[in-house]
Amino acid sequence: MRNRFALSSSVLAVVTALVLWAPTFVAAQASSAAAAKAAARTDTKAAANIEKAWTMPRTQDGQPDMQGYWTSLSFTPMERPAKYGGREFLTDEEMAQVFKEGVQHTYEYTYANSAETPVYDATVYALGAWQNGVKPNRRSSLVVDPPDGRIPPLTPEAAKQQEVMRKTAPPRGAELENGGVVKADVPADLGLGVRCLSFGGPPILPGAYDSNVHIVQGPGYVMVEYEWNSEVRIIPLDGRPHLSQNIRRWHGDSRGHWEGNTLVVETTNFRPGATFHGANAKTLKITERFTRLDAATIEYKFTIDDPTTWTKPWSAIVPLSAVQGPMFEYACGEGNNGLVNIMAGARAAERTAAAQAASEGHK
Amino acid sequence: MADGKPDLNGLWQAFVTADIDVQDHDAQAGPHPEIMGAYGAWPGGQGIVEGGGIPYKPEALAKKKENAEKRMVVNITSDDRRHDTGDPELKCFRPGIPRANYLPFPFQIIQSTDKVIMVYEFEHALRTIYMKENDKDAPKDAPADSWMGWSHGHFEGDTLVVDSAGFVPWTWFDRAGDYHSDALHLVERYTPVSPYHIMYEATIEDPNVFTRPWKMSFPLYRRMEKNIQLVDFDCVEFVEKLMYGPYYKNPGK
Repeated sequence: MRNRFALSSSVLAVVTALVLWAPTFVAAQASSAAAAKAAARTDTKAAANIEKAWTMPRTQDGQPDMQGYWTSLSFTPMERPAKYGGREFLTDEEMAQVFKEGVQHTYEYTYANSAETPVYDATVYALGAWQNGVKPNRRSSLVVDPPDGRIPPLTPEAAKQQEVMRKTAPPRGAELENGGVVKADVPADLGLGVRCLSFGGPPILPGAYDSNVHIVQGPGYVMVEYEWNSEVRIIPLDGRPHLSQNIRRWHGDSRGHWEGNTLVVETTNFRPGATFHGANAKTLKITERFTRLDAATIEYKFTIDDPTTWTKPWSAIVPLSAVQGPMFEYACGEGNNGLVNIMAGARAAERTAAAQAASEGHK
Repeated sequence: MADGKPDLNGLWQAFVTADIDVQDHDAQAGPHPEIMGAYGAWPGGQGIVEGGGIPYKPEALAKKKENAEKRMVVNITSDDRRHDTGDPELKCFRPGIPRANYLPFPFQIIQSTDKVIMVYEFEHALRTIYMKENDKDAPKDAPADSWMGWSHGHFEGDTLVVDSAGFVPWTWFDRAGDYHSDALHLVERYTPVSPYHIMYEATIEDPNVFTRPWKMSFPLYRRMEKNIQLVDFDCVEFVEKLMYGPYYKNPGK
């Protein structure tokens, strides 16, 4: 058991590296899935059936009970593909097709590599849709506001900054396959996830794997544990002020309150260099709204408000689907074999290049 | 709590020096006193082990001494040999139980009906204590080994009793090299003695390392500051040079 655990750590580090170097890939993969339930709501017959059979569970102190294990896994793209025009919801046929393609894609993703690279059996991480509660989503995009389903344009200053970052970023993806070399002089050349520093969030969004959270409610607090790196947010509900702006946290500083049956969480005090989509840590505010719809679904809506990065606030809805527990400890830095191998590989590549240069010099 | 159980919610912290040595110890200069001075010196203190000594098997005592001698020998490989030497605290590894409870950092208890969660400021280490009998999500035995263990709990009167096993063999009890194997079995008792104090007791059993079970005990104090909360001590960032320095392009820099 111990050996398997150790192997897992290294696998995760490798997978992480792939994922975090390729944010666009993640966004595409990680199309989030949840509007199935929201979709169910739009189907009046289904909604009526669900509502009849289910009453809101309550915690000891009377709050709506959202405790348990939830996945944000999804096949729905963050932004609405052009082919749907202005349509917010898919037809039955389109919804079935998106789901089928999603399942097929994860299946291929899993098995395309498994023979030669035994470290990469993605089913271990419940990538397969049939394993992890992902449900069809009637929405054509996760983004619901603006109504076109697209993230609003960056401000001119933010666009300029992100362009600079893109130009100075290390090679990734296809660039590496074409002979580019991973820059790994020091760990800081690599992504926060590769270094086991942070996997991001809020918001809660699906990634390529491990898109699970564990919610526990105690008197006056809600805890959200992310499966990735067992990262944790503790959200006070007592109306206290935010931390001073002098304290900046990897996942920001969250404060919650109830609006009817909806848990509303506002998060600020983000840490520069560790923000969602490269937003400005000093001006970013994320508001999350958790509403339990039925036994198996939380509607999770988040709003990104950062006037120095986007020209207007925008919102997305990610249905969270109940999954079976438990969620295991994700010890990352304890077994970050991937980071060792990446750096050792970079040094080996340098030695090879130096030896080659020397031998060519002799000719 | 509304269910009649004692309410352990809040931020708690031990004020013993057991992280340095769970047994009696004098103050000592820490590593590199030529630059660290009093910043790096370690305070003395009375031990938390009941009855004085830890009942090591002879060969295990030798291993404890070796651990202490090599507590700052860090050799990070891409396999389990990375655990052969060096204090896991130094490397920012999750501290395990019971050490997490007496590190000089606060931890927060979030107590629900079916679970008690303990979140430690040190590297946001987290443990879930399953309180429900026959919880379908939480089999009795650990499905996999972990740094923070696999725990089931119940109340005996006002005392939260936690039974834990399923630990990796790589956590220590202190900087003095006191250690255990993957056969570690812990029974902890958290007894509130006032709204502001919990008496903590742990019975430690590990037939691979000790000749008999032994106990430690100390009080936990409620952190009383207005609006106190955990902040980040995500030390992975602080140990990169220590851990991966030999793999840097310019290791000397």
